[in-house]
Amino acid sequence: MKVLVPVKRVIDYNVKVRVKADGSGVDLANVKMSMNPFDEIAVEEAIRLKEKGVADEVVVVSIGVKQAQDTLRTALAMGADRAILVVAAEDIHDDIEPLAVAKILKAVIDEEQPKLVIAGKQAIDNDMNATGQMLAALLGWGQATFASEVAIEGDTVTVTREVDGGLQTIAVGLPAIITADLRLNEPRYASLPNIMKAKKKPLDTKTAADLGVDVTPRLTVVSTAEPAGRSAGIKVGSVDELVAKLKEGGLV
Amino acid sequence: MTDAMLPDLLKVTRDSLPALRALLADASATLKDRFTQDGRLSAAAMEADQPAAHGLAWLATYVEALAQMQDWAERLDAAGKFGPMEALLHQIAFGEYLAQIFGGIPMNQGEIIRLADLGIRATPDQSAQTLIAKGNTTAARGALVGLMQDNAGHATFGTSGLDDELEMVREQFRRFADDRVAPFAHDWHLKDELIPMDIVEELAELGVFGLTIPEEFGGFGFPKAAMVVVSEELSRGYIGVGSLGTRSEIAAELILCGGTQAQKQHWLPKLSSGEILPTAVFTEPNTGSDLGALRTRAVKDGDSYTVTGNKTWITHAARTHMMTLLARTDPTTSDYKGLSMFLAQKTPGTDADPFPTEGMTGGEIEVLGYRGMKEYELGFDGFKVKAENLLGGVEGQGFKQLMQTFESARIQTAARAIGVAQNALEVGMQYAQDRKQFGKALIDFPRVFGKLAMMAVEIMIARQLTYFSAHQKDQDKRCDLEAGMAKLLGARVAWAAADNALQIHGGNGFALEYQISRILCDARILNIFEGAGEIQAQVIARRLLG
Repeated sequence: MKVLVPVKRVIDYNVKVRVKADGSGVDLANVKMSMNPFDEIAVEEAIRLKEKGVADEVVVVSIGVKQAQDTLRTALAMGADRAILVVAAEDIHDDIEPLAVAKILKAVIDEEQPKLVIAGKQAIDNDMNATGQMLAALLGWGQATFASEVAIEGDTVTVTREVDGGLQTIAVGLPAIITADLRLNEPRYASLPNIMKAKKKPLDTKTAADLGVDVTPRLTVVSTAEPAGRSAGIKVGSVDELVAKLKEGGLV
Repeated sequence: MTDAMLPDLLKVTRDSLPALRALLADASATLKDRFTQDGRLSAAAMEADQPAAHGLAWLATYVEALAQMQDWAERLDAAGKFGPMEALLHQIAFGEYLAQIFGGIPMNQGEIIRLADLGIRATPDQSAQTLIAKGNTTAARGALVGLMQDNAGHATFGTSGLDDELEMVREQFRRFADDRVAPFAHDWHLKDELIPMDIVEELAELGVFGLTIPEEFGGFGFPKAAMVVVSEELSRGYIGVGSLGTRSEIAAELILCGGTQAQKQHWLPKLSSGEILPTAVFTEPNTGSDLGALRTRAVKDGDSYTVTGNKTWITHAARTHMMTLLARTDPTTSDYKGLSMFLAQKTPGTDADPFPTEGMTGGEIEVLGYRGMKEYELGFDGFKVKAENLLGGVEGQGFKQLMQTFESARIQTAARAIGVAQNALEVGMQYAQDRKQFGKALIDFPRVFGKLAMMAVEIMIARQLTYFSAHQKDQDKRCDLEAGMAKLLGARVAWAAADNALQIHGGNGFALEYQISRILCDARILNIFEGAGEIQAQVIARRLLG
């Protein structure tokens, strides 16, 4: 079984995000970029399926600027077999919207014919949480989102989902889309021999135009702002005063 | 910030280099003259004026360091990666090191070497004057630390100049060190515990032990530059882990350079997989730097040698499986010529019985820092080594074989120093940002940000000298000089970084509870092991004058 894993190159989770002076978005110039952590979990799950003998090939796909090939190399070094880079943007600040990403992925899937797609549940840059679901709709495949456990038997995948207030277990027929949640697994470090091997693994490059997908944005970013800073507090002398102040502020 | 930065920086720094090379040539010629008697370099004359000889080594180290900084800066500039942080590092490096060359180079805090001591007089040329006057200013240090506080997630302060693959290696080992090493290192140190075996096993899985061993012998065939990056990042987590990880590498190099085909096939795959952990058994109670004088005897007796003698400062002696053991096989000699190297098997010990191997006893030496593997003194009495485990199969080659590994060992030690220094810088900077006094963060005081800036600058200088040595080694070019310089400078840089980072902590830094107290103890070993600073300078001076 072939498993396809989309990975996104995003601002590193350790970086303090800075908004551009004109409010048009986040400043990414010279900022460390890494694989989206949820996608890392997805890659790890796919590699584990291969190690268990359930999958026989893991193909990773990234869509965006050409530097996303670094992210693909990392996925190859973790253990993926093959990578496809779809160049769809020139500038690192041009984010490709989920619908365009889903369309590109559909085009790739039409060519590759995987039986399973494991994606991260969302990217940590703009937290859309939409691509997996849109892709399922475009393909007409079943979807199992927010997975914290995956088990495959025959043509059925049983997925434990993290839902509000608890866990839900569902069975989905293959082919299917799974989106990975935080607790699905702990991604491995790429070992030195695998980093060495990654160099020799194939990485194909295509463009969004090759796949016939228009990536022109449909959404308009109106403004981007940093969260408001904490304002100074005051000291109160007694519980009565505290309660009075809270009432005054309309907080109780 | 622009006020802090010199215009035409790369040109000014480039222009300052020819005069420095001429200065070094002048100093070398002057001292060669001073130390030559009857047409030969006199060891006695050199020893009588040790400060000048060693001062020459330091001067050469500074000149080479600046040349490597220039090379780095120009490569980055050509690639469009020479940003403001890199420019400030470069500018401060030149400003400060030029000022020290003409004013006095601290070989350590207490010994300053001046050009007059080398018997030469020189005044800075125009470019050097500019850099001395405007290179390392408070404004420049402040601008640099401003950028360092917003380093946007990058592992190093300033682009390293290494390729993407090596940076991927760095990234993986940085994460490993952050997750699996750094949170526990201080506890291991305080309890004086061995690094847990599961860490050793994880290092083996990551391929650390076979890093540069060729693939045909079960290794991964990475360049030495990768060994540098791994040593740096693991040592940034904990020097013990950085050292443990890459010491198999040095044992492997000994076997690769001096071993027979059968020895390579037997030992290298097991070293590479981590199945065999090695320990280096060279030093004796009365012979440290003067290895040629060592007295442990190995006497051939049929199919084996019997070893008798005492060894000391043996790191990780108890838990390891194999000793690279240097002993005298020719009793008629009293110098290095009669020494042979053995690959001696031993049984790994336990806490209850650290040295179960017959003919071998050992006792722990308690130490300030660099714990995690523990130090031991060993006694050999009737200890047997199979004759087939004589390295290379020929007696009398031991010292020469060991010398062949010095380049790699020094490069590795320089990398460990960089890792420790980076750790000190990060820990010191975090404290300086968090701690508020007189209504502001410590980092806003010039004496505090100035310390942090100099750490970052000198770490980059030591990095470039080390990376250069590793690249030379990878191209099979001789690099004993540069590797020695990298180790010499790296050790001073690490100690200065640890000392200043502790100073930033004030009284808290003196408390065992704060990890900077451990980093200080760990940093102290770097100027002692793998060639003490004085020996290192001596070796460099002899090469320059020879």
